Amino acid sequence: MSPVDGPGVSNPNLPVDPALVEGRVPDRVPEQVPELHEVDCPPDLKEHIETLMGRYPDRKSASIPALWAVQRLYGWCTPEGIRQAAAVMRVTPAYLESVASFYDLLHTEPVGTHKVAVCTNISCWMRGADELLEAFRSAAGGDEDIFVTGFECLGACDIAPMVSIDERYFGPLEAAEAETAIEQLRTGKDVLPEKALEKRPLAGDAGSTGGVPRAGDADA
Amino acid sequence: MSGKEITLIVDGREVAATEGEMLHDAAKRGDVEIPVFCYEPKLGEPVGACRMCLVEIEGIPKLQTSCSTPVRDGMVVHTRTDQVKHAQSAVVEFLLVNHPLDCPVCDKGGECPLQDITMGWGPGKTRFTDDKRHFQKPIELSPLVAIDRERCLHCYRFVRFSQEVAEDEQLQLLERGDRTFVGTFDDRPYVAPFHGNITDLCPVGALTNYTYRFRARPWDVEQAGSVCTLCPSQCNVSFTVRDEQVKRVVARDNPDVDDGWLCDRGRYGFEMFAAEERVTEPRLKGAAGGADWQAAIEKAAAGLKAAGVGKVAAIVGDASNEEGYLVQRIMREALDSENVAAGRAYGILRHDLVDISQPALSARVRDIDAADAILVIGTDPLHDSPILDLRIRKAVRRNGTKLAVATERPTTLDGGADAAVRYIPNATGAFLDDLVKSLSGSGDGESHFGADASQIADVLRDAEKVVVVWGENVAWGDGRGLLALAEALNIAEHDGAGMLEVPELANARGLREVGCMPEAGPGLSQRLGGMGVAGIRDGLQSGEIESLILFGVDPIRDFPNTARWKSALAAADHVVCFSMFENKTTALADVVFPLESHAEKDGTITHPDGRLQRVRPSASRPGDIRPNWGILAELSLALGFDTGISSQPSAFAALAGEVPFYAGITDGDIGGRGIRWQEGPAAAAFPTRPEPSGDPVELVFENEPGETTYTEARSYDLDVSTYRDLWVGPITELNPPLRFLSPRQTLELSPGDAERLKLEGGDEVTVSQNGSTIRARVAVRERMRDGTGFLIEGTASDNANALPDLAGTIAAKIAKVGE
Amino acid sequence: MQMPETRVLLKHAEDPELRTLAGYKRYDGYGALEKAYRQMEAEEVLKELEDSGLRGRGGAGFSMGKKASFLPRGEMQKYLCCNADESEPGAFKDRELMQRNPHQLIEGIAIAALAADAGHAFIFIRGEYDLQADILDAAVAEAYEAGYLGENILGTRRDLELVVHRGAGAYICGEETALLDALEGKRGNPRLKPPFPAVQGLYGGPTLINNVETLSNVPRIVAHGAEWFRGFGTEQSPGTKVVSVSGCVQRPGNYEVELGVPTRELIYELAGGPGGGREVKAFYPGGSSSPVLTAEEGLDLPYSFEDMAAAGSMLGSGSIIVADDSVSIPHMALRTARFYHHESCGKCTPCREGTNWTVKMLERMVHGEATPMDLDIVASVQENIIGHCLCVLGDSMAMPVGAMVRKFRGEFEQVMAEAGTAVAA
Ligand SMILES: Cc1cc2nc3c(=O)[nH]c(=O)nc-3n(C[C@H](O)[C@H](O)[C@H](O)COP(=O)(O)O)c2cc1C
Ligand code: SF4
Ligand code: FES
Repeated sequence: MSPVDGPGVSNPNLPVDPALVEGRVPDRVPEQVPELHEVDCPPDLKEHIETLMGRYPDRKSASIPALWAVQRLYGWCTPEGIRQAAAVMRVTPAYLESVASFYDLLHTEPVGTHKVAVCTNISCWMRGADELLEAFRSAAGGDEDIFVTGFECLGACDIAPMVSIDERYFGPLEAAEAETAIEQLRTGKDVLPEKALEKRPLAGDAGSTGGVPRAGDADA
Repeated sequence: MSGKEITLIVDGREVAATEGEMLHDAAKRGDVEIPVFCYEPKLGEPVGACRMCLVEIEGIPKLQTSCSTPVRDGMVVHTRTDQVKHAQSAVVEFLLVNHPLDCPVCDKGGECPLQDITMGWGPGKTRFTDDKRHFQKPIELSPLVAIDRERCLHCYRFVRFSQEVAEDEQLQLLERGDRTFVGTFDDRPYVAPFHGNITDLCPVGALTNYTYRFRARPWDVEQAGSVCTLCPSQCNVSFTVRDEQVKRVVARDNPDVDDGWLCDRGRYGFEMFAAEERVTEPRLKGAAGGADWQAAIEKAAAGLKAAGVGKVAAIVGDASNEEGYLVQRIMREALDSENVAAGRAYGILRHDLVDISQPALSARVRDIDAADAILVIGTDPLHDSPILDLRIRKAVRRNGTKLAVATERPTTLDGGADAAVRYIPNATGAFLDDLVKSLSGSGDGESHFGADASQIADVLRDAEKVVVVWGENVAWGDGRGLLALAEALNIAEHDGAGMLEVPELANARGLREVGCMPEAGPGLSQRLGGMGVAGIRDGLQSGEIESLILFGVDPIRDFPNTARWKSALAAADHVVCFSMFENKTTALADVVFPLESHAEKDGTITHPDGRLQRVRPSASRPGDIRPNWGILAELSLALGFDTGISSQPSAFAALAGEVPFYAGITDGDIGGRGIRWQEGPAAAAFPTRPEPSGDPVELVFENEPGETTYTEARSYDLDVSTYRDLWVGPITELNPPLRFLSPRQTLELSPGDAERLKLEGGDEVTVSQNGSTIRARVAVRERMRDGTGFLIEGTASDNANALPDLAGTIAAKIAKVGE
Repeated sequence: MQMPETRVLLKHAEDPELRTLAGYKRYDGYGALEKAYRQMEAEEVLKELEDSGLRGRGGAGFSMGKKASFLPRGEMQKYLCCNADESEPGAFKDRELMQRNPHQLIEGIAIAALAADAGHAFIFIRGEYDLQADILDAAVAEAYEAGYLGENILGTRRDLELVVHRGAGAYICGEETALLDALEGKRGNPRLKPPFPAVQGLYGGPTLINNVETLSNVPRIVAHGAEWFRGFGTEQSPGTKVVSVSGCVQRPGNYEVELGVPTRELIYELAGGPGGGREVKAFYPGGSSSPVLTAEEGLDLPYSFEDMAAAGSMLGSGSIIVADDSVSIPHMALRTARFYHHESCGKCTPCREGTNWTVKMLERMVHGEATPMDLDIVASVQENIIGHCLCVLGDSMAMPVGAMVRKFRGEFEQVMAEAGTAVAA
């Protein structure tokens, strides 16, 4: 069954005889499925990925979670980290790199410790997202530790314009709040606590943005 | 596929089809061409990505991709309506959005599906005026293949090849959307034994061969169909020839043989035809420069005649049926000697061969596809017959065929196997015994391989269609075990079950069947008294043999025990050597004759499954090379015996007249696709199984095959055996583009042995045995059997054949260099 | 005075305790699961779902019960996937449902799995919803603990494994077959259909795929019956709908209403309308994939599957994005096209190249570097995409962009001209 397209359980991986490539292409050896003893995988990572693989009927299903684990550990999907995951999962590093590079949240290039994604899609754009993104960019300056990027719709148009900072949502924000948020990030403080999505009441409930009167619950 | 015959209507015409086949294929048979880019059935399921093949099907509102629509009875299809034309021209226009219009400098120009389809179905001109996508212009995907990412159409073919066919999962799509490109992990080179196939698959000039770039244009080349004779797979090829020289080798689909794939050896191994080292004219020992043909033939004949009666011998290696047939006639009829053998050291005894080759026991290559289970025993197809490796993978991947692997050395099929076990080198006989016992439920648990054998037996036991792919050495000296296995598996009873040999020589089957065996003449007719290869060697040393013909073999490099061979050849009175290249053996020969390459010769060969195939002359012979059959016929004349052969067809006719089961097969029957003699007119004439009486002819063995010590206590470090690497020999040394693949001597051992011997991967060691020593680099491999190491045969330096007793397992001392 | 909501799915959602098992049980949580598992046959559950007329809330609006009935019966392993990828611009209802009432979803999944005879279920949640995924993880753990998931559920000898699977940022994974590929650990490329997932889906087995909101409806339907459910909404669009309203409105957010309420009331009364003296110019009635409707065309339509389809658009995921008269439609078209260009998986030609080409043309337009002929080309490129792609993503750009060019041609011409003058100056 096709791994490119169509359903199926992954192929048993059948690597090329290592003897055929090893030592023949100086220093740039094509990467087979690495053996565990070649990769120096941190035991915690190995154990974690093995647990993940155990959750699915097919081990390859764990590739996205495994890449998340690599990224959490190293900040991004480093080639070394990918090789470690590949060795545990018994797939080629090329396979995992291919998967990682498809997804916006997995980084195959170095990024900063803090990830700031400003939504610039339709609803946020209508409410000033471009200015907000600019504000975050200039607040972060050239700080390599803070990775500011524009992002497609994050599924929070109700708090437009909004931003996701280290995977939590905040909004609606004024451009001026960017400065505060970055400062809080730099000093390790709680970021914009009052603007966290989690704190926001349901739209129709009193206390939300416009204070819609309590609506009737359906009886049953 | 259901196989039901149905009819459908394509553009008003009735087309007969098989239910479930793809509409594109059915239409094609009805002479309706639907353009495609991504569709390639060889790659497995269709992906439907390019959208080029959209057609209208009555009753379905949206256009459908004909590459992925199975046909149904009564389906009414339109491929040239306005709606379809509009869609097709839209798709072409979209494809050209990011495709550079650099056809004049593109290597694919003139043979480019995109060009053709744009002409046939495109919009005429594009309205796209913005910037195209940019990538770094051609870069190295591998040392052999360049990739130009700007030209890529995203047809998925190459990644599907890497994932679906070779299963190496090295080539991958990276990024997403129109940023997608093909790459490898960390930009490393894509080096894998079949990777050249991607250049055949690419429908544009995105992937091109460095060996062909800018060498020729489609209009100044010709395509010549032939067969690759570099290994027993005998893949069908097409040579791209310009100025009578081979410029490229591409696959020529033959599902009965190769499924349309080539290994990189067959694809890129053609520059050696023009190598410096090529023998291009006859040569006499001691004389500078080439010799006159007549003088050389006379000299050769004189030397052979001077030997005492029966004191001549011949060893054949790479040869066509006609060549092998003529060599054995010279031996038997002109020189009255039965000493003719093919191969390296041992052989299969005639009665075993007759037993195991019974048509009822023979598998076809195609049987692999539909097998319930496959047993691979005593061979790693990747090294020994590469295309079979892909074929077996395909069966496992697509049909869920069960796979069992029993070998000495780890194979690349282990990963997908239901069971993979290692036996001790040279203990095949013992292993087979245990396997047969286990299959028949009579194992007593006392055996050496009991547990491993029963793992294998478990995979095979309930299968009906079992194909056994066996390495030649499994039957060396004694084929009874193999026969017992065939019986235990009930092979003869089941359609689609069978035995398929992977021999050492590319044309081993043909050579045996035309009589290159010391105990069998043409048609495997019984002969008595001839010597095998090892006997000939010892005979040369003892004076029992005085003159020798070597045809397409290089004993000093390829045969075990180099030192003994050197002294044997030195002791010979007269050596006539037919060779493509100058080497250490030709240096010792009295007369050297040039050989044609497989792109130059005309003749037949026989596939291990019995398929006779035709090798056709496609390129001109360099220098003063003449047809091999002609030289042999002349040599015979000079020896006073007229073979009556005056052309290649007459050579084939003569041999077919002597091989009863080849009788009646004509050149036309062989055609472009070959014919299995088992399906030919005279299959019934194959010799019946010999009576078990009669004393088998003794072969001379250095180490009795099957004889192995199982002792734990030992005075040496490691049992060392050898294997033949895919990339060893002139194929890499004499082809500049492949040179980087030439292997260095490597000692492979298990992690356990590495620890015991305090060795690590990359260490330099010496391996010594009985006073001979070679150097090797250490490689630690998983899935090895503890206690056994492996070296490569035939390397340019530190050849493992230099170790004296390497024919069997040797007890070797290992020492780290510098300690 | 605002029109009231009709809260079924969001009932008690203001209670922060609802997300815990204890809180959920306080409102009769898992009662429907007990009923289904202990008292009903799978066929009865399935029939109830079919009778309810519940239509998928993920976009296509296909009958949920009917889809479940397509799964072949038999011994093979079957799967259920909850589509929680919610990545279409304008949609944020599933986020709310998972965040506030995760157990309702889990209960719905367990009941649907019973109906479909699936032994393995997955919630594929978009990677950005980290908070919601954490909440789900905790709720799933509670449900396992309480015996609502896992082996031998409530002692009925039925098993269900439920795994929360986080995506990693790709809108296309919301497309059901791409979701399957992503769940199998591959790049999220859509597959060819047929075979449909109900026949050959995850790992090659029959697979039921439903949206979060669709599945969240299941417990109430089973608890109160199909008839009760049909008491809400219209004949062809029964039930309530959580509608995400955003863009130029004063109170953006999720509002749960009966299907068929007047669209105007949703936008103006519940969400407060544009405010500041502005008026609605146009809106996407069902997320960014739905062809925009002008105020005149759309405001007075009942908010239902059938009425939106009749107007040449669609209800889709039920997400309204409002553009008031200050919004430049060409710029909005560009944002829309950029999104689809960024998210195109790249597998098929018309979408991969068509989205790219469209963005380039629209960019030139708003920068004043285009000619009026380009406007025709943009329109024709959209035509060339529609119906030619492997999945619907290509159409999802071509339809709204095509609609904008068609309906606001004058505005495009004006923007081009103004930008052109600015460039010239
Ligand atoms: C490009 C694309 C994106 C989609 N995204 C989502 C999504 O995020 N969530 C969702 O539930 N359905 C999405 N769908 C629809 C799904 O393919 C599928 O129809 C749906 O999950 C079925 O569930 P339902 O029947 O409950 O609506 C998308 C479809 C397409 C073509
Ligand atoms: S329409 Fe777009 S997203 Fe869908 S398969 Fe084609 S390229 Fe991928
Ligand atoms: S050939 Fe059918 S879609 Fe490419």
